[in-house]
Amino acid sequence: MERHQARVFSIAFRILGESCAAEEVAQDVFLELYRSLARLESDEHVKAWLRRVACHRATDALRRRAVRADMAAEEFKDGVSVVPVVRSDSPLMNRVEQLLLTLPPAQRSVLLLRYQEDLEPEDIAIETGMPLATVRSHLQRGLKLLREKAQRTLKEYSRG
Amino acid sequence: MVEPMDDFERELREQLQVRRVPEGFADRVMARIPAPRPSRWFWQPVWRWAVVAAVVAAMVAGGLEREHERRIEGERAREQVLLALRITGSTLREVQQKVNAGGDEQNSDSAAGAGAR
Repeated sequence: MERHQARVFSIAFRILGESCAAEEVAQDVFLELYRSLARLESDEHVKAWLRRVACHRATDALRRRAVRADMAAEEFKDGVSVVPVVRSDSPLMNRVEQLLLTLPPAQRSVLLLRYQEDLEPEDIAIETGMPLATVRSHLQRGLKLLREKAQRTLKEYSRG
Repeated sequence: MVEPMDDFERELREQLQVRRVPEGFADRVMARIPAPRPSRWFWQPVWRWAVVAAVVAAMVAGGLEREHERRIEGERAREQVLLALRITGSTLREVQQKVNAGGDEQNSDSAAGAGAR
């Protein structure tokens, strides 16, 4: 658990944007891992399983928070950044996470898998069950939106 | 195929390093893992075999008891038959004695009658 907890928590946190909810999801994921451990053969298998389940559980939790999702969609539509209260490891990381949270959930998950987990689009397609074209489209659109928002809000990214 | 990243993507990847988990996260997860439930006493091998042995012993004892009762009933029936035979035997003897006694009287009467004549 020590080896994987930061990754699982980060996925949940960056999809949900809230520490308490992210911890709850991460705890649930590890409890589910405890029950499924007998079926998982290698560390790589465990890593991929955790990534997939963390993404799904966090996305499910996000769907359940309908009001908050509506708010995020409105802010996304208006181009206003969502500023959730988060405890960050660094101010810049915090800003990037805030910008990520303004993206639609599917784009957010795909960007996380690409840039946090360092997966190639083909691997993201396999892990999420999305067609490769959809993954590429989410990546392109998400990245474009993020770049625009970053240019507007973060001087650090204006060179992109 | 590995797709090349531009500066923005590299910076994004840099900033999306994994976060630190909240303090005490692992302990809270461990606290939620249910303690291994002690298996029910019946399913522990010693108890399981003890219960099986007790059931077999009860069945054998029940069989022996039934056999014993059957034997007693048989004895009782035999005694009743013997008693009935004894009764029948003594009754027959009495009847025979009476018959014999009646015959003797008849013989002595007829002999007396013949003598008188």
